[in-house]
Amino acid sequence: MTGPLIVQSDKTLLLEVDHDQADACRRAIAPFAELERAPEHIHTYRLTPLGLWNARAAGHDAEQVVDALVQYSRYPVPHALLVDIAETMARYGRLTLSKHPVHGLVLTSTDRPVLEEILRSKKVQPLVGARIDPDTVAVHPSERGQIKQTLLKLGWPAEDLAGYVDGEAHPIELAEDGWALRPYQKQAVEGFWHGGSGVVVLPCGAGKTLVGAGAMAQAKATTLILVTNTVSARQWKHELVKRTSLTEDEIGEYSGTRKEIRPVTIATYQVLTTRRKGIYPHLELFDSRDWGLVIYDEVHLLPAPVFKFTADLQARRRLGLTATLVREDGRESDVFSLIGPKRFDAPWKEIEAQGYIAPADCVEVRVNLTDSERLAYATAETEEKYRFCATTATKRKVTEALVRKHRGEQTLVIGQYIDQLDELGEHLNAPVIKGETSNAQREKLFDAFREGELSVLVVSKVANFSIDLPEATVAIQVSGTFGSRQEEAQRLGRVLRPKADGHEARFYSVVARDTIDQDFAAHRQRFLAEQGYAYRIVDADELLTDN
Amino acid sequence: MTTPPRTLAEALRARDDESLAGLLRARPDLLTPVPGDITQLATRAGTRASVVRALEHLDRFALQTAEALAVAPDPAPYETLLGLLTGDGRDDGEYRGDADAAIGDALPAALTTLREQALVWGEDDRLRLVRTARELLAPSPQYPSPTGLGPTVAEATAGMSPGRLQDILATAGLPATHDPVSAVTSLSALFTDRARMGELLDTAPAEALSVLDRLVWGPPYGEVTPNPTPPVKWLRDRGLLLPVSTRTVVLPREAALHLRAGRAHRVPEPQPPAVEAVANRDPQAVDSAAAGQAFLAVTTVEELLKSWNGGGPAILRAGGLSVRELKKTATTLDVSEPVAAFWVELAYAAGLLASDAEADERYAPTPAYDDWAELPAQDRWVRLATAWLAATRTPGLVGGQDAKGRALSALGPDLDRSAAPEVRHRVLALLASLDPGTAPAPETVLARLRWERPLRGASASAGDTTDLRSRIALWTLNESELLGITGRGALAAHTRALLDSGPAEAAALLAPLIPEPLDHVLLQADLTAVAPGPLERPLADMLSALADIESKGGATVYRFTPGSVRRALDAGQSAADLHAFLAAHSRTPVPQPLSYLIDDVARRHGHLRIGAASSYVRCDDEAVLNELLADRRSATLRLRRLAPTALAAQVDPASLLEGLREMGYAPAAESAEGDVLITRAGARRTPPRTAPVPVPEGPPVPDATLLGAAVRAIRAGDTAATVARKDNGTTDAPAASSGSLPRTTSAETLATVQAAAMTGSALWIGYVNADGAASQRVIAPVRVEGGFVTAYDHTADEVRTYPLHRITGVAELADDATP
Repeated sequence: MTGPLIVQSDKTLLLEVDHDQADACRRAIAPFAELERAPEHIHTYRLTPLGLWNARAAGHDAEQVVDALVQYSRYPVPHALLVDIAETMARYGRLTLSKHPVHGLVLTSTDRPVLEEILRSKKVQPLVGARIDPDTVAVHPSERGQIKQTLLKLGWPAEDLAGYVDGEAHPIELAEDGWALRPYQKQAVEGFWHGGSGVVVLPCGAGKTLVGAGAMAQAKATTLILVTNTVSARQWKHELVKRTSLTEDEIGEYSGTRKEIRPVTIATYQVLTTRRKGIYPHLELFDSRDWGLVIYDEVHLLPAPVFKFTADLQARRRLGLTATLVREDGRESDVFSLIGPKRFDAPWKEIEAQGYIAPADCVEVRVNLTDSERLAYATAETEEKYRFCATTATKRKVTEALVRKHRGEQTLVIGQYIDQLDELGEHLNAPVIKGETSNAQREKLFDAFREGELSVLVVSKVANFSIDLPEATVAIQVSGTFGSRQEEAQRLGRVLRPKADGHEARFYSVVARDTIDQDFAAHRQRFLAEQGYAYRIVDADELLTDN
Repeated sequence: MTTPPRTLAEALRARDDESLAGLLRARPDLLTPVPGDITQLATRAGTRASVVRALEHLDRFALQTAEALAVAPDPAPYETLLGLLTGDGRDDGEYRGDADAAIGDALPAALTTLREQALVWGEDDRLRLVRTARELLAPSPQYPSPTGLGPTVAEATAGMSPGRLQDILATAGLPATHDPVSAVTSLSALFTDRARMGELLDTAPAEALSVLDRLVWGPPYGEVTPNPTPPVKWLRDRGLLLPVSTRTVVLPREAALHLRAGRAHRVPEPQPPAVEAVANRDPQAVDSAAAGQAFLAVTTVEELLKSWNGGGPAILRAGGLSVRELKKTATTLDVSEPVAAFWVELAYAAGLLASDAEADERYAPTPAYDDWAELPAQDRWVRLATAWLAATRTPGLVGGQDAKGRALSALGPDLDRSAAPEVRHRVLALLASLDPGTAPAPETVLARLRWERPLRGASASAGDTTDLRSRIALWTLNESELLGITGRGALAAHTRALLDSGPAEAAALLAPLIPEPLDHVLLQADLTAVAPGPLERPLADMLSALADIESKGGATVYRFTPGSVRRALDAGQSAADLHAFLAAHSRTPVPQPLSYLIDDVARRHGHLRIGAASSYVRCDDEAVLNELLADRRSATLRLRRLAPTALAAQVDPASLLEGLREMGYAPAAESAEGDVLITRAGARRTPPRTAPVPVPEGPPVPDATLLGAAVRAIRAGDTAATVARKDNGTTDAPAASSGSLPRTTSAETLATVQAAAMTGSALWIGYVNADGAASQRVIAPVRVEGGFVTAYDHTADEVRTYPLHRITGVAELADDATP
């Protein structure tokens, strides 16, 4: 028995966590393998072409990859896999994008047949210009992103050596008074800056905003920050004023209500993707200043039109921030080619172990439908089934019991269906925040919750993203957007901010037994279970009798 | 001093016993049946089939030597032969000193081989190639020689007129001779004389030289028009091109040899091409990689057969697996289809799977599989490897087509290639001859194999890998890697042992490299179990029943799902069994979600019960049912209580009614909807029927259409039978006798029909249809072609086509009778 790693023929790598060499091995394989699952004993990594090219982009070669596998592997590594790795990695860098003093942006190849092959592709033809010499072809500067994306799809990813524009300089410093960037945040900033552009993956609550601030302090240039909604825009602003040398006046908000363009501008995806008469009137924001840095918050939610526009921003540094690279639409490769490769990630549990995010106790509460509900469920139309079982009356009782149990703790009740939430709000005597709640009212309620004046808040899915609830210790999820894994991760993130008293956070998911609610819940939990957050399952009856 | 042998038989007779044994060893076909004496042996050694076989077993240089001898004078001294291989030393712009030296070194050995195989006999000053071999290797228009040389001047001028020969001599600047034989000698002498030939060619126009350039290395034949271009004419007039037929000319051998500086082969290959290594790996790494693959091979075959445990795929009518089944198998094994075909064929070759020979034939594991599965992994591998080494089946062909364009299916017929085991052994022997850890480049291996066993008549180009032997060799390399014969391209130590020593030694070498089966797994809260290595069989069996396999390789990842747990419960396990099993085999505590999952599934398992009953008894009074069950007479009804007010019975409703009535009850039958069935006597009805139609005397009265048709038919038949026919000139023809079929010879038939088609007149024919029924018809031919006559048939009143060979005879109709 030697070696902590088992290389499977399906290109997954199993890493035994409790092995002495596990840490060394993890460091060796992290640059090229994607961490897929991190439960308690065996972590699963996967070798993907994207990951291998990522590694090439970061300066690793096939020999290093093979060495790492052979060195730590417990059993002989299948030969075919090694050959495959070498072949895949050799595909990267045969094509390079670079700046030519005379011709501007050019695509150069060290392997002429490859160039011939890609030039023959119908998708590439409209993106390239004149053939300068047998190995070089001109590329229109505005197609830099497009061609990278296309070449990746063709399996010949191009190395982008064309560099970045510095953008308009603007002094930004971190105001590290009484706090400092955490080590992993520093690493993330360094990883990003060294690589030029890319994505940083950190768990919810691990301080992604600060990574953004750190990157801005490195760039010292005007910055465009794209966030999911207005509330989150305010939080960014608040945090930046607090943590950096920037003042309120230097930070503009570009949203549905305000249209300010300042050296640092925070815009929402929603306003950018607003469409009037077939055009996106707000996309000109990208050109309104000479941005030196573009930050994409929650990059896994980046809407398709923004992708399209990002393709034209390839000369600017781009930083993507996210808790998970899982996209429900499977467009991970677009993130890779347009924003950049993954520059940093850390398993949730590792950051939890360092004490930067709160440990969480995840509990799935199974409730039984009453006999009459079961009958009604059985006869419900397919599209109504989820709504029916997710809003069963029994859940209300259980939720009330849970709130009672955690009386005095800051508790969030999160759900999908407004009727259900209104009813819960009534029974729990708690305010409800939903889509129609005005921003002013929302902030007022959040403040009250933050100050502890309110201890229970019922929120709809508007609260999925970027609400900073520092002392929420209990979250109760009563219904969700079907089987969305990243929603579950976001919601758990609501309670993972470290607690002042080091208290363990609790995350309850109330699920109706033997219905599709249970199937969806299983799907939703899978990502977290793979991140090492094991769910306990308890029966509602037990819980009710305990009380 | 013995006299030199005059025949092959004498040469053989002169050889000692050992040398004769060597001959028989090299050419075992000479032994069946054992020849009666040396003469018989020599005769048999000279038969075409045997010589072909012997030539096919020569390496490339020996074959080149034989080919050179075939174009040399018979007999040829050693020096001539050497000259044909090295050239006559004239400088042709390339330095060949090293090559010539190598030829000089290798030639005696090649000659020894040829002598030993009785293809060449005679002393060095009088080397003779066996006549059959000479015929096989010598050039002829049908089979151009591998040397690319044409026939000699004497052979090419064999049919030429003496006058033409003298013309050639004159044009070539030679004195006239008296007879053709001396003319040929004179011309040959010119062509073989380097100096004079050089002078002659110096006068040639440049285009003529370029024509020669095209022909010099063969094929030596060229097409010419009846009026050749001046350069061709120049060459033809001087005998440098000799006519073979009106349109073909040939470059005579002597002239070609002069142009080639005396060499029979463009590239003599005295030395086998070197096998180049792509990498020299650590032998230990090679062995462990191969062992890993060997273990994978064993587990894959086991997995394949396990998946066919309950009856494998159906066998195609033509034999073999359908493409769909192969695809399915490939998906099951998570490999590509060609690889899946390899595993299936391997299991078949090892006798682990076969047809079950039932009415609807399916593949299934054989009893030998059960024995095999009990062996330790290394012995299982040895069984597979030995079967593979000897197998003539070539899975590489699967997916291709045979000569008739039929698809070749896995396990199907026509996959046997007798060359396979030999090629496989050659490849492995070649690998074994390298240092341990050396991974050779496949193309150099192929080149070496082609040198050792060249294909007769095939092009010697190095990159050509389409011939069967090369393909088998490539497959062998691939399959070796799959099977763990080689590891990372180099031969593993256990394979060397298998080839040199035997199965036991190979197994002993392999055993320590194969991971020990484990007795535990790691259970995780995301409902997976990871076995960090191979598992002990009972554990693996149980786990694969209880969980789905998600990832395979050195380790196995299992995932528990409600479905998989239910499968285990269906297989007779209880929830408590499962808990105990997991607790016993897990290194870590069983995660709560997993225990919960098992309990949750177990809770619902068997909640609904399904069974079959033929009829039931229902009664609102429980006491009556109690009574009924207690009654001993009810035993034959096989009643079983399902609920307080319902019993199930295993007899049909009628018998149940009868039985209960006999017991003194008054049961009533129920319909499917629960209504009481009222039984009344005589209520049986047929399905709807129509009343029978009366049967009148005589046939039914025909309707108008039928009548019209009948009249027309009668009329036409009448015309056919009664028309007066023209006398066709043959007095004895029975055509005159009306009523019988006309008879004419086929030539007459054809002529008459053609004439009728031209004039558009009607004919009276006798015709025999496909059933052999003869009839007479009146037709007006429209067209005669391809043995068919298309005609308007007056009898049938439509245009029809008749095969001419079915027309027994024709007669023209009298003009006035034309309808």
